[in-house]
Amino acid sequence: MTPFQSSGPVVGSDTPGLRPTAPSAPQSTTPFSSSGPVVGSESPGFRPVPPVAPQTYIPEASGFRPAPPARFNDPSVPPPPTSYAPPNAGPFPRFPTPQFSSTQPPPSRAPFAGQPPFQPPPAQVPPPQLPLHLQQQIPLVPMGSPPQNVNYAPASTNVAQSPSDSSFPAPRPNFQSSFPGYVRQQSSADSQAPPIHSPFPTKQGGAPFQTTSSSPLVAHQVGYVASPFGFQSRDHLQHPSSGPPVGAIQSLVEDFNSLSIGGSIPGSIEPGVDLKALPRPLDGDVEPKLFSETYPLNCGPRFLRLTTSGIPSSQSLASRWHLPLGAVVCPLAESPDGDEVPVINFASSGIIRCRRCRTYVNPYVTFTDSGRKWRCNMCSLLNDVPGDYFAHLDATGKRVDLDQRPELTRGSVEFVAPTEYMIRPPMPPLYFFLIDVSVSAVRSGMIEVVAKTIRSCLDKLPGYPRTQIGFATYDSTLHFYNLKSSLTQPQMLVVSDLDDIFVPLPDDLLVNLSESRSVVETFLDSLPSMFQDNLNLESAFGPALKAAFMLMRQLGGKLLIFQNTLPSLGIGRLKLRGDDQRVYGTDKEHALRLPEDPFYKQMAAEFTKFQIGVNVYAFSDKYTDIASLGTLAKYTGGQVNFYPNFHSAIHGEKLRHELARDLTRETAWEAVLRIRVGKGLRFTSYHGSFMLRSTDLLALPAVDCDKAFAMQLSLEEALLTTQTVYFQVALLYTASCGERRIRVLTAAAPVVTDLVDMYRLADTGAIVTLLSRLAIEKTLSSKLEDARNSLQLRIVKALKEYRTLYAVQHRLAGRIIYPESLKFLLLYGLALFKSTPLRGGYADVTLDERCAAGFTMMILPVKKLLKLLYPNLIRVDEHLLKPSAHDDLPSIEKRLSPSAASLDSRGLYILDDGFRFIIWFGRVLSPDIAMNLLGPEFAADLSKVILSEHDNEMSRKLMRVINRLREKDSSCYHLCQLVRQGEQPREGVLFLSNLVEDPIGGTNGYVEWVLQIHRQIQQNP
Amino acid sequence: MGLNLIFWILCFFVDLALLSSNFYQLVILSDLEADYLNPYESTSRINFLIVPEFILHGVFCALFLFTWHWFLFLVTLPLAIYSAKLFKEKKHLIDVTEVFRALSAEKKIRLVKLGFYLFLLFVVIFRVFTAGMILFYSSKFGELDIRSSFLQF
Repeated sequence: MTPFQSSGPVVGSDTPGLRPTAPSAPQSTTPFSSSGPVVGSESPGFRPVPPVAPQTYIPEASGFRPAPPARFNDPSVPPPPTSYAPPNAGPFPRFPTPQFSSTQPPPSRAPFAGQPPFQPPPAQVPPPQLPLHLQQQIPLVPMGSPPQNVNYAPASTNVAQSPSDSSFPAPRPNFQSSFPGYVRQQSSADSQAPPIHSPFPTKQGGAPFQTTSSSPLVAHQVGYVASPFGFQSRDHLQHPSSGPPVGAIQSLVEDFNSLSIGGSIPGSIEPGVDLKALPRPLDGDVEPKLFSETYPLNCGPRFLRLTTSGIPSSQSLASRWHLPLGAVVCPLAESPDGDEVPVINFASSGIIRCRRCRTYVNPYVTFTDSGRKWRCNMCSLLNDVPGDYFAHLDATGKRVDLDQRPELTRGSVEFVAPTEYMIRPPMPPLYFFLIDVSVSAVRSGMIEVVAKTIRSCLDKLPGYPRTQIGFATYDSTLHFYNLKSSLTQPQMLVVSDLDDIFVPLPDDLLVNLSESRSVVETFLDSLPSMFQDNLNLESAFGPALKAAFMLMRQLGGKLLIFQNTLPSLGIGRLKLRGDDQRVYGTDKEHALRLPEDPFYKQMAAEFTKFQIGVNVYAFSDKYTDIASLGTLAKYTGGQVNFYPNFHSAIHGEKLRHELARDLTRETAWEAVLRIRVGKGLRFTSYHGSFMLRSTDLLALPAVDCDKAFAMQLSLEEALLTTQTVYFQVALLYTASCGERRIRVLTAAAPVVTDLVDMYRLADTGAIVTLLSRLAIEKTLSSKLEDARNSLQLRIVKALKEYRTLYAVQHRLAGRIIYPESLKFLLLYGLALFKSTPLRGGYADVTLDERCAAGFTMMILPVKKLLKLLYPNLIRVDEHLLKPSAHDDLPSIEKRLSPSAASLDSRGLYILDDGFRFIIWFGRVLSPDIAMNLLGPEFAADLSKVILSEHDNEMSRKLMRVINRLREKDSSCYHLCQLVRQGEQPREGVLFLSNLVEDPIGGTNGYVEWVLQIHRQIQQNP
Repeated sequence: MGLNLIFWILCFFVDLALLSSNFYQLVILSDLEADYLNPYESTSRINFLIVPEFILHGVFCALFLFTWHWFLFLVTLPLAIYSAKLFKEKKHLIDVTEVFRALSAEKKIRLVKLGFYLFLLFVVIFRVFTAGMILFYSSKFGELDIRSSFLQF
């Protein structure tokens, strides 16, 4: 058996450069075949971060404990060195209100606009209710929601009780003072609140709230209602108490409004009515401002977002927060110019860390003992300040050198790590390309695009002059390329023994790019022509993967796989599956979305172990089992780029752009990420693409700015004793320049004792990101329907819990209420239902697309995910017809809600979901426009038409608009897909399925969805 | 009679092996949780033991069936069926990529098994003693030489 073929069946017309392998090669290389991967052996690359590793929690010494609370609680305490904290943010309990009242007032009225109780409606669906709302508050018992009925009268009795209630929360007085006109109503409303929530944390753990039984006070109130049930009571009450004084109505309206200004009270909608009044995130994602304003030293929200920045103080409170509690971290998020993360080198003193909990020095640590000690903000331990780091404190307790210490003033910094943070010299950036050259790859033109793109990126690869590069191609055999710098032409080595993979040359297959530049260029120039006559159908993907692993094992790096067909030869061969419709809806359905062969998981684990990150580019028009291939990326911090039905003429530009970005963006190599959190809390689960190396250490062989990681938090102790919780993300990585660095992101969040505060401080973007990741993970272990149902259940539970907080004081029985901060949760929930990974069943999305979208959504940062879920729809034909020469982007950027109602068949629309543009031509769009934009092809089948610039003003204008939109997000290339109204089934698949507000194919529209959620909220548990 | 004693002593050692295997796996899992072991090492060590353990348990179960110990057979049967089911669904091995997600469940399973084997151990020890007692009891009535020689063997 000769493992080598010295001939080149694969060598094409211009092969002079590729010499057949020297016959002596086999002898010299056979030893390698025996050196297979040693499974389970401890390798040097294995535990690279001893300094970060053992995080042990020693119970806090009780003597230390009082310190932080004192700092935040009591402004009268002589000021400890909290100079960084702005005075108005100091005492914690007061913090939300001042900000809120000053920043928020008018906008938060928005959800109430056009809603019945406050303005007489023109014609709403349940007409009998509305007059009731307006005329008589007391007897109003809307249909079918008994326990929420409360009289106005009891409120005044509550006022009498309120002074005696010692648990009256501190924030409220502030609140009242900022709205002098509403003091009375405010106090009456508030006085109801404490008895309602306060018994909760102590008395009934996470049990659903029963207003009628939870507190004697409420029970008392119910007594005022003649009968809490249904229509009889309404009839009964209507007559005797008709016509309360007008003043009462007024005050009630004001009461409600004033509360809404405060923002802690719900937006609300009358169900079943006004589609237009429903909230829509047409301004895109809005980062929670309140949080960053309260803690200006926190790292920016682009790095870290908490699902709620009010951390629950007790387990029972946390269990009533039915939404995920956690964080979304994007450690390498791109920084806008001028706001780069500062790099700090503690050359001599070493990196300052708490000696117990290993927290890095951050803006929230306090210096005491005239600067000789510092107190860790996480564990309150007093640490010594190293001599080199010592600085005197001024009169306010601030260090005098504060302005020269970015690590003490900014939440996001980078430390240069000394040698203790390395277990080997920092690796050079390494790129290895594994390219499928079977017949389908040749035909689709993929090889040519890839080769040209790589060649054009050679100058821009990070890490010059250390960058290493290597190539291998495969069909039914494996081809390696000797790129030794002394050669003038690359040398091709063919291995055909797939059962016993070995690497034919010890060195020179992975070369230094700057040394072998000319050989690499020659290789890339000849690669497309080398295989242009290849007729090989097979794909020895598994063996090629093993070979690449053996090559890269020494250094690690990034492996880019270009796969065009289903792996068919050798280890890791895959079967055709997923076209059996009967599997859907059964318990075996989820298996289709899991890797078929354990080989892929094993390889992924091995790759991570040796610091190899995998990015998968898949191109097939047929089934390629993305579920299996994507596993390689999932556990190595990589990504899956899927180009179904790839054709270079259509998708070439997209591939070019995305591959170029992959190769040139700043990448963090051999990274590990850990997030620390203060005492009493613990991160329990992590969601995204990485591999866990220990319970809380994420191994990321290669990570970049387009990856975000989500994690969930739980309380370890029944009660938190601190007032503030700190989070610290640390990413230890090797920068492309060869420097080992630690990126440290620090954030603080207040501990709250009230569910209302948790809701008020919630961040819809982070919640939706976590919910989507949880739902996608659920599809890997159960049916799609189960995943959707559990998602819906969570939303319902959360809103139900919220309702129990408010429905009693405001007669909102017929209304759905939600906090201002979560006003888009319903819509994003609906959009998630209709997203590619969760949508429908067998026929709605092909299995590969579903899996690819799942892998993509698991790594998306918050903003991109929200845009994908709720795409932009903009109308452009009016802009194109306008004679003005310059483009005023704002005018065309008016977002429409993605529903058929916003479409006009005379218009031209662009739907932008962050990954592609779908350009929709209305049926009666003026033929001029179509002709101008598409040229002579305007009447042709649009699926084959590629949008290109034509020689007329209108076409140029459209291209300018598109380019402007593309510039706003460089992380991927938005491919233009054209579709004409009424062109079925293409319109349905491409365009209509993205109109998330419309009922399509058995799914709910926005209004029905809201109604359905409302009904479920109203149902008793 | 002596055969019976040997049978129970055999059972004793089989059960001891199963018990210690489970204990060892539990220790590894705890080490993994405490970050004393890396996931690659710990999963390969555990996975190495799983199939032998299943086979041993199957043998254990079959031994009771063939010796007509109905009660113990029925006691060991459910675990044997459960193991066979796991094996058939290819879920018996610990997946290194998801080991932390499955950690608590795996620990719980092993803890339950540990308790189960401990219970069996007591039963078996009791049977060993009864078998021994019968041996000595009956040995009073002659045939001592044959039995003692058998024991020496």
